[in-house]
Amino acid sequence: MRLTVGGTTYEGRVVDLRARGVSGAAIAAAVRGERCLPALSAPGPTPVYDYCGRVSPEMGLRTRTALAAAARSRGIGTPHDGEIAALREKLASLDPDEPSLPPAHDPVAESAIAALREDAATARGRLAAREALGADTDDARRSVREATGALSERETERTAAAQSRERRRAVARSYRDRRAERRRVADRLANRRRDARAVLVDRLRGRFVAALDALPGSTPTDPFDASPVPAALSILRVARTDAPVVLEVDRFEHPAAAAAALDAPVIRC
Amino acid sequence: MLLVVTYSRGARRDLRNVCRAHEGCVVRQFGRAALLEWTEFGAFQALRLQEKHGLDVQLERVVPFEPADAPEHVRKAASAYESRDQPSTPYERFASGRDFPDPAAMRGEKL
Repeated sequence: MRLTVGGTTYEGRVVDLRARGVSGAAIAAAVRGERCLPALSAPGPTPVYDYCGRVSPEMGLRTRTALAAAARSRGIGTPHDGEIAALREKLASLDPDEPSLPPAHDPVAESAIAALREDAATARGRLAAREALGADTDDARRSVREATGALSERETERTAAAQSRERRRAVARSYRDRRAERRRVADRLANRRRDARAVLVDRLRGRFVAALDALPGSTPTDPFDASPVPAALSILRVARTDAPVVLEVDRFEHPAAAAAALDAPVIRC
Repeated sequence: MLLVVTYSRGARRDLRNVCRAHEGCVVRQFGRAALLEWTEFGAFQALRLQEKHGLDVQLERVVPFEPADAPEHVRKAASAYESRDQPSTPYERFASGRDFPDPAAMRGEKL
């Protein structure tokens, strides 16, 4: 790796920054590529670095999850990987966004339509009576036109309101179906991931326990009860670690000893 | 009655809170759904949930249903099928060749 801090450039597998007072968080962010300063040129980190990339006294650790990531860094697969990929793809294809609904119309009351229908019938009756009498029909004709016009307008409104209501229901329903489907797929995905993690942890359990035993200090009876720092160091030991590991602990004699024990490039902060 | 169905964790939580705080307007509460009374207050609570959670809250109008609301041939078919001799007989086979409506016909027929 090649690291430049405050005008000084370090090269090699081990960089000791203890005298420089640089924060481990800043260096770890540079390793993850989230910051461009300090300038670092080194291989990129794998997901195991999300858990163990920076080893500090106040760290927490989900040991099993991190060990599974370590297994992935070594290219170990599981029988569940195909299904996991398919489920992820399925989940991505189910649009989680809420659709916008067509605007709601106020419903047209049946009584309003009935009243207009009656008006139209009355007007037509009046026209027929005047025609039978041979009287002047101009006013009566206009009344019929107006009444039937008002009726058909309201009927159109009613149809539009009913159709909009149907569309709104259909859109909402398909959104809720999608939402329910997403939940089912997400549940299945979480289950398969758990299964895959168990397989991965099983594959590396022996090496992890051996790495833990090799560390200086006491070993707990259940290796998964080990405190975060020794657990993280053991996981790094079994993981493939091409990117630099940021160390803020003194578990080893010297940063070079740490690099050798972890088989990883090390930046000691 | 008003049926309120929720489709997200947040909406479900708020529905539970509404039901707890306003027991008077709750007819029945289920896991992620509840029946509220057909009152302005029930509608107010339902609309409040929908304002907050959008399409994650589904509102439906529910009316009581009694046997008399279904046609007689449907009621007779239901009662005859439930007193069948062979519990394993599917309804379709049970109805065929007898004076009972077949399922496809009933599916196409609105109440």
